[in-house]
Amino acid sequence: MSLTGRKAARYFIAIFLIITFNFAIPRSMPGDPLTNLLGEDVILSDSSVQELRSKMGLDKPLWQQYIEYWQSILRLDLGYSFHLHKPVSILLQDRMKWTLLLAGPALILGSALGAILGARAGWRSGSRREKVHTGILLAVYCTPPYFLSLISLYLFSFQLGLFPLKGLYSTGSAADIAHHLLLPAVMMTLFTLSRNYMIMRGSVLQEKSSLYAAFARAKGLYDEQILFRHIFRNALLPIITLLALDFGFILSGALFIEIVFSMNGMGSLIYDALLSRDYPVLQGSFLIITIMVVSANLLADLLYSRLDPRVKWE
Amino acid sequence: MTDFCERLNEWKGNRLMPMIISKSGWLGLAFFSSFLLMAALSPVLAPYDPWYRFEPYLPPDELHLLGTNDLGQDILSELIFGSRASVIVGFGAALMSTAIGTAAGLVSGYFRGMADEIIMGITDIFLMIPQIPLIIVLAAFLRPSLWLVALLMGCLWWTSTARVVRSKALQIRETGYVQANRSLGFSSLHIMLSDVLPNITHVVMPKFLLSIASAMIAEASISFLGLGDPTMKSWGMMINFAFSRGGFLNGLWWWYMAPGLCITLFVLSVVLLGSMLEERESVSLRLQ
Repeated sequence: MSLTGRKAARYFIAIFLIITFNFAIPRSMPGDPLTNLLGEDVILSDSSVQELRSKMGLDKPLWQQYIEYWQSILRLDLGYSFHLHKPVSILLQDRMKWTLLLAGPALILGSALGAILGARAGWRSGSRREKVHTGILLAVYCTPPYFLSLISLYLFSFQLGLFPLKGLYSTGSAADIAHHLLLPAVMMTLFTLSRNYMIMRGSVLQEKSSLYAAFARAKGLYDEQILFRHIFRNALLPIITLLALDFGFILSGALFIEIVFSMNGMGSLIYDALLSRDYPVLQGSFLIITIMVVSANLLADLLYSRLDPRVKWE
Repeated sequence: MTDFCERLNEWKGNRLMPMIISKSGWLGLAFFSSFLLMAALSPVLAPYDPWYRFEPYLPPDELHLLGTNDLGQDILSELIFGSRASVIVGFGAALMSTAIGTAAGLVSGYFRGMADEIIMGITDIFLMIPQIPLIIVLAAFLRPSLWLVALLMGCLWWTSTARVVRSKALQIRETGYVQANRSLGFSSLHIMLSDVLPNITHVVMPKFLLSIASAMIAEASISFLGLGDPTMKSWGMMINFAFSRGGFLNGLWWWYMAPGLCITLFVLSVVLLGSMLEERESVSLRLQ
């Protein structure tokens, strides 16, 4: 099989497995599959149980249920949340945009800043300033994002009253949303930054001792020029891959930050779904997150072959 | 031509976090061992039974150094007993993921060919699964317990260890002593276990420590969502209760600050220790 074929196969198998897995969970876990599919706090009469059971196809053989499950997935039908009285796909659509609004800019800013600061730190490793930066960011790296958010919320909103304590907006104007979003977005940026900083620092430390860097120095280039014209580009390559692999973790971080700041995104949706054991919402969210992570990997893969001329898709 | 994944292997095979300061490695060791002692000796160290109820919402004083929570349980005792959850999940998950990862990487790197293709394919797929959301979904359906969480993490986190071990095994299988043993007719299993494995332990060790760190962060995150083991104290759960039962809004900062700082310090100590080992390994490589 060609390289492209193998790569494409990987992504397809990943998606296929996750969807199959999602099908299997409610049907194989302890308890009644109907409860597992509807959520725990749904109370039904006996007649409606029978009706729902046949409506959801639970009386059919498993393979037929599996085919029907795929059909509904392809129709973008992710089930119905009886707890929130809405189709899961609509709920997710609604919440997803807030999560992306929080995570998107923070992810870009955090990666860019992390890469630049990390590159400088790797270049000047051992200097006092670098040690302080690395020390601080290492502490951030080791802190769960929700705890970091709790501290900042306590300091800036609770004690100093600079930011609102919770929610996404009170009046709905752009300035108001930005005011609510600023602190969580800073936390998210810091969280992304610390991860990228560590990776980039290590990457530059390795590239620094390579021959082309020595040659650039022998040519008489300034430090900044060697770092950003020559080393940075090579050191950036592993970051793209790791960023894609890290995407799932960073997205989970965003979910936790949302919970702490009581924002109306995916994180709070998942948290509420956990409290009320609203399984369709949980499963739908998991599916969407997986698809996002797999797409991020695909994107990184494509981007990588663009940036590194040594890599070609056959 | 370098493939995307090969570049990744190359990269993952190298140290993730190079030397911070080697003095900090010793600091890490000191903190790490004191947290381990805290977990081992918690019944001796804790001033009270962490489940015993005093008056609720007491501020810190000399009887209760960190006050009491909403149920009147002594927070300091909870904190000391909470270290056990982190240690169990951290070590359980790391032991399991290291064992799976080492086995997969050894087989993959030593045999190459078809086995390598298949194992690395599976690794790539596992790498793409968002782990924390998956654990959340599974833990929501099953009755939450620490062992379950550790087991799930172990099953999901072996991938990066597998890659490191594989790239090392690929190098070692070409060395003279392995070739010699092969020509003497030793079985592959024997060569893998007695020649390749001992030469891999020094790259596995830092990986093992870093897996402990990620498992502890994940445990704290999952119990923060209320999916922790209700029969055990854990730092994540303490923060969750402080957050959801009014500790936060009433300004009882000691309630969540103490467990949060413990998580950070414990994880930090493991990471410092791990990067010290990684640094040693790369120094010894340079000397070769």
